[in-house]
Amino acid sequence: MITKDALWIVAEFEGTRIAPVTLQLLTKARAIANGRTVAAVLLETPAQTGEETLAQYGPDEIIVAQDEAFQNASDRTQAEQLTALIKANQPNTILFGATPEGRSLAPRVQDQLETGLTADCLDFYYEQDLLVAVKPSYGDNVMCEIVCPDRRPQMASVRPNTFAAKKATGAARIERVDATAAADSACVMQKTAVKIAATTSLSGARKIIALGRGANKDAVIEGVRKVADKLGASVGVSRPLTDRPDFTAEQQIGQSGVTVSPDLILNLGISGAVQYQVGMSSSKLVISVNRDSKAPIMVQSDYVWTGDAAALVAALQDLL
Amino acid sequence: MKIVVCIKQVPGSNRVSFDPITHNLVREGMAGRMNPFDENAIEAAVRLREQVGGEVVLLSMGPDATKETLHDGMAMGADSAYLLSSRAFAGSDTLATGYILAQAIRKIGAIDLILFGRQAVDADTGQVGPIVATELDLPQATFAEKIQPLDAQHVVVNRDLGAVTQTVQLTLPAVITVRAEANQPRYESPVAIQQSLTKPLTTWTDQDLTLDASRIGQAGSPTIVRKVYAPEPTTRAAKPLPQDPKEAAKALLDILQAQGLL
Amino acid sequence: MERQWTEPEQMLLRMAAKYTDAELAPYDLEMAHTNRYPDGLVEKLIQTGFLTVMLPTEYGGAGFGPEVTAAMIERIAKGSASVAATLEGHYKSVDAILKYGTDALKKALLPQATHRIFAFGMTESTGGSNPMGIQSTAKRVAGGWLLNGNKVMITNGTLAEVYCVLVKTGEQELSVFVVDNSMPGFSFGKREDFIGLRGTPIGEIFLSDVRVDDDHLLGRVGQGGAIGDHAHDDARILMGAVLSGIMQHALSLAAKYANERTALGTPIGQMQAIQRKLADIKINQETTQLLWERAAYAKAQGQPYSELAAMAKAHGSRAAVAACDDALQVYAGYGYSNDYPLAHLMLDARALEIAEGTVEKMRTAIAQAELKKEEA
Repeated sequence: MITKDALWIVAEFEGTRIAPVTLQLLTKARAIANGRTVAAVLLETPAQTGEETLAQYGPDEIIVAQDEAFQNASDRTQAEQLTALIKANQPNTILFGATPEGRSLAPRVQDQLETGLTADCLDFYYEQDLLVAVKPSYGDNVMCEIVCPDRRPQMASVRPNTFAAKKATGAARIERVDATAAADSACVMQKTAVKIAATTSLSGARKIIALGRGANKDAVIEGVRKVADKLGASVGVSRPLTDRPDFTAEQQIGQSGVTVSPDLILNLGISGAVQYQVGMSSSKLVISVNRDSKAPIMVQSDYVWTGDAAALVAALQDLL
Repeated sequence: MKIVVCIKQVPGSNRVSFDPITHNLVREGMAGRMNPFDENAIEAAVRLREQVGGEVVLLSMGPDATKETLHDGMAMGADSAYLLSSRAFAGSDTLATGYILAQAIRKIGAIDLILFGRQAVDADTGQVGPIVATELDLPQATFAEKIQPLDAQHVVVNRDLGAVTQTVQLTLPAVITVRAEANQPRYESPVAIQQSLTKPLTTWTDQDLTLDASRIGQAGSPTIVRKVYAPEPTTRAAKPLPQDPKEAAKALLDILQAQGLL
Repeated sequence: MERQWTEPEQMLLRMAAKYTDAELAPYDLEMAHTNRYPDGLVEKLIQTGFLTVMLPTEYGGAGFGPEVTAAMIERIAKGSASVAATLEGHYKSVDAILKYGTDALKKALLPQATHRIFAFGMTESTGGSNPMGIQSTAKRVAGGWLLNGNKVMITNGTLAEVYCVLVKTGEQELSVFVVDNSMPGFSFGKREDFIGLRGTPIGEIFLSDVRVDDDHLLGRVGQGGAIGDHAHDDARILMGAVLSGIMQHALSLAAKYANERTALGTPIGQMQAIQRKLADIKINQETTQLLWERAAYAKAQGQPYSELAAMAKAHGSRAAVAACDDALQVYAGYGYSNDYPLAHLMLDARALEIAEGTVEKMRTAIAQAELKKEEA
């Protein structure tokens, strides 16, 4: 028996494992549930066992629909299945990871339910029954609180790596439901490949060296790569350096790129536009190097050095 | 191939201010511009037309000033444009906007492909494309970085979903949202700029479309922006490292050592 | 004087600004170092349609007027004076053919001006500001002319494919012909190693028994001097715009640096000695802009503009050298370094005290015009 009025997290696979954002959402949802049932909803093939991972993060329920149709299922197929489950069980709140996949499915579900969806939230909490979704807007220059007062369920997608995932004890009830959605003949998957992407390594990295316009020289970048190797750090960039052939948008930290929360971030030649700061503000230790002592990045940093990034990189290379 | 590209006019800069009482965006003195991702969608559409023939139709909803953005799009090579403009549309959120656009697309008719930019840079939702697809019960491929026409009924799309890439074959009509990596949008040529003002631009109000009044404007918008505020700039200690680069590097490594990061 | 541009004019200026910032400005310093355009730069400029801006629509152009064309040149010069000079050289040559070419020649030639660069060759080793000193000739042959000679220091020389050339058709008689680089007897000479405008190819051509038909004569036999003057007038408006753009570039760099650089605990921009320089750069820039705008307005209105165009260039070139010198001084040691753009901006500006008629010749022309007004 699936609980009504529950808070649902739509689980997502990343390759063969459950996506980190799903686990992060489970942890956050438990913290704000205040007596509400927290349920993970999972669409998977009979060969998959995502519920085992989900159970370790303490949901009250795991709703599992298994069907071969979910092998390479289209957005439409998945959204229709989710909509059917939601209509049948009437949860109060539905959260998606604001991943490309979550952001593709959520609005399809939203439209079928004719309800409200807030995209890409950085925070959310309840006021009685009302979910208050906090989302940045205008390149993270403003924050908005968005609510959906009159319709249910209320929906939001939440930016990955905004919350930490913590394992939790507790016996999740696993509810197995019949899949009802059919395969989508108008959208046929021909090929899928897991990317060995910088995104994954960057968003999960413990240490990051980030390069900006002030470090945009071949020699400096080469030096940084050597220092990063020695430190075991990943290399990220701010927006201007994605124009270089040796960096891609996936190595970009910030609003339009990846949000990171490493133990250490060393910013070299990054002035620190708001859109960049938001992408790294939850880093534990922030050290920044800039020629301009008044660059906005400096007050966002635990330690600062005013000067040419090239000089510091050279000195670091010597010492390592 | 008849392609509709849905585009949005966004503020010329993301340095915006808000009316603290009404929570409305203060747009005074700020010229609008085309959402940059929409330029990628138009470029993709124009290239498809160059490959297989057909026409590229722009569609946008907004105030009269949106015509400038539509002219920009026609200067990039689109053939014609529709502007949906009415007081009745004011206050529409993504759901209402998607519904209105879908009704306009039905009226334009005989569409093979509907393209969007991956998201707009003001609100960053990326929701309207999938909503339109759902309204029209069409398949979708979001976050496309390559679109290849296959035959009169099919296109093959490469999607980049961050952790995975997908190659999907869509049966037309279909909805595609386009990533910035898909292409380099062309500059408007001076000749095309001059021609853009002579291409057909049609304005439709709520009276020109078949609309359920409960699904448009504020009535059709379930979400409410109840508060807008500037994010608190979190500041940290900003302790300076020694000025000499060698000493600074040494101090930096000492800090990492002390925090167990070496 | 804030001009109200039409919507297409605004679109053109917006596009040029975006193009300049993304495609030209990042390579400007590299051009100064390498004395050439980066690979593909000219091709993309042509592909985007910059050659068509002022070409009338009947020849496949965009048909923009002289004022917005000059404003666009100014904006491009803010990112790269070299590229602005290449477009200026093309536009003035196209203008000359438009004004003096026969209908047949225009129909045959001008549709090519959308994708082939045009140039105007006047100077020779023996004469530049003194046109009668030139030695190139055109001799009458059956149904046409036979051209011989050597033209140097042509803006876009070695890059352009179509050339207007000033030659002697008699001892004291100048005429202008149009030649194509595909004609037998046409060849390129060397490219100059100038100290400024180093992206712009400035080079020489040789004409050795190049045969052209009658319709390749611009205007009438003996009208060459007037045609040359006219081309110079058009060039000088655009040169004023180039100079104003160079000064905008210098000012933006200097003000930014003055905000960032500190001395004695304050940004140097707060010091009066620096402020005075910034103010002087701005005054020089604005006065030059007003002069070219006034000349372009007169041209658009069909009024005489020769004297105004001369003033835009005569005042603007010296003003720009002074402005860039001020900006260099704000940067101090870095300004004197080839790793920073200030020195090359000054050398770019310096070119225009010489090109398209020396400032001395400009002043002579201005003075003569004023003297004439008071003649009894």
